[in-house]
Amino acid sequence: MSPSSAPLASASKDPSTLRALSDDLAGAVERAGRSIVAIHARPRIPASGIYWRGDIIVAASHTVRRDQDISILLPDGSRGRAQLVGRDGGTDVAVLRLDNPPSSAAVVAADLAPDDALRVGALVLAVGRPGERVSASLGVISAVGERWRTWSGGDIDRFVRLDLNVYDGFSGGPLVDADGRVLGMNCSALARGAPLTVPNATIERVVDALLTRGHVARAYLGVAMQPVRLTRSVAERLQLGEAPRGVLVVMVESDSPADRAGLLVGDVILAAAGTPVGEPQEVAELLGAEDVGASLELSVVRGAERRAVAVTIGERQAGSDAKRRGRDS
Amino acid sequence: MTAAAMLSPATRGSAPPTLGAELESLADRLKQMTVRIHSRGDRFDGVGAGVLWPYREQSIVVTNAHVVPARRSDAVVVEDRERRVVTARVLARDVERDLAILSLPELPDEWPVPAPLGDAAGLRVGEIVVALGHPFGVAGALSLGVLHAALAADDRWLQADIRLAPGNSGGPLATVDGAVIGINAMIVRGLGIAVPASAARAFVAQVLGAPNEHAA
Repeated sequence: MSPSSAPLASASKDPSTLRALSDDLAGAVERAGRSIVAIHARPRIPASGIYWRGDIIVAASHTVRRDQDISILLPDGSRGRAQLVGRDGGTDVAVLRLDNPPSSAAVVAADLAPDDALRVGALVLAVGRPGERVSASLGVISAVGERWRTWSGGDIDRFVRLDLNVYDGFSGGPLVDADGRVLGMNCSALARGAPLTVPNATIERVVDALLTRGHVARAYLGVAMQPVRLTRSVAERLQLGEAPRGVLVVMVESDSPADRAGLLVGDVILAAAGTPVGEPQEVAELLGAEDVGASLELSVVRGAERRAVAVTIGERQAGSDAKRRGRDS
Repeated sequence: MTAAAMLSPATRGSAPPTLGAELESLADRLKQMTVRIHSRGDRFDGVGAGVLWPYREQSIVVTNAHVVPARRSDAVVVEDRERRVVTARVLARDVERDLAILSLPELPDEWPVPAPLGDAAGLRVGEIVVALGHPFGVAGALSLGVLHAALAADDRWLQADIRLAPGNSGGPLATVDGAVIGINAMIVRGLGIAVPASAARAFVAQVLGAPNEHAA
């Protein structure tokens, strides 16, 4: 139907850079969409997941509330069933295994971009499947940093912060570049709701660990801590200088490495491995998976006396993630 | 050409028109087709936008129901980008669809031509979309985003990943070609929500008759 006989401004159909960019972005969503599934493992809206390879799907752990018979909507519209292989609460990566690997050509394993594609300013799309259809948002990578440790003890290879909207149901979906290659998994649960991406290298590492061992090795002491300031009189007596900071031990888990080393509730840790600490996070950062079995020297104030305590770093057992709350290490 | 290549500084200088120049020209075309709507009732004063809508020889504006007064007799003032002012009448208003049609009985000599219309049904997720409006009273402001979800046949609303604000209401959501695909209506959890142009077209046809009914 012709809309009007009045003179019309015409829509420009000239080939243009803007049109080409728009087509590229739509193409990127289409390509990435062939690897994005919807995961029904929580109430209300489904979350997204990435078809990684073979029969493996990667998802955001916090969106997977059940372990068995998880309903998966595949990119070709068919439904599959998957079982949880394992999860790493520290990186928020969960690995699911499909009962039957997809056979349709419309379901394609994620095309992974190399790590050097993570660049500040790169034009990127967050793509998800929070229902039957794929949806997207556009933005840029706003920061790329070094390896970091999450508040829950996860080891993430690069810090990748986004300037884009991660909508409901996008967690577990990929960040894709303008060519539709996957740069990592988007997640809103690792940094107080701020949109972050867990890079491919981390996902690969966690997938391998979960497939071979069923869990990700994580160092732990078995204490809960909170920041504390010592009084001036104690500081003077122990010659600690002005306003000394520390972390107060508020809980010691029975039979944990800390318990075995004789650490007590009420101890104030001033330094770990020679590094002054004032926040529980600063202690957590000294605990890498590679440190399991090693000894950690703590400088502790107990009963206004200073003493050294050596803790043999332990390995947190799988399955304890769900019980963990707050700032324990 | 890949998107990365287009955005790199090396190609930006040597291959005009640049992305920036194209966006400028797109913004310019959208400003032509977008009006500002003032109601005499003080509640909505100066915050609404509208689209100069093609309909036979008549001059009409399509906007949101929520930016015009409820009573038909209330006067509405429509202002184009050159700040030329026309008194308009509310022809029809549909609160459910959040659409309203204004008629402009007398136009100044130099009045902008109506907008080209597009159809969101064929658009792909991730395509760039732009919005023009008067967010928080700032006249003629452009926002850029992408289509968030494909429009299904029974969808009442079009979803865009784009930053909108009060004052974008009633203004156009358009493709990079400058074709209007929606009338921006609201913001829901950060998403821009628009009435599809197809629904607006149907509403106009319902109120005024199909555009080509009496053509011959």
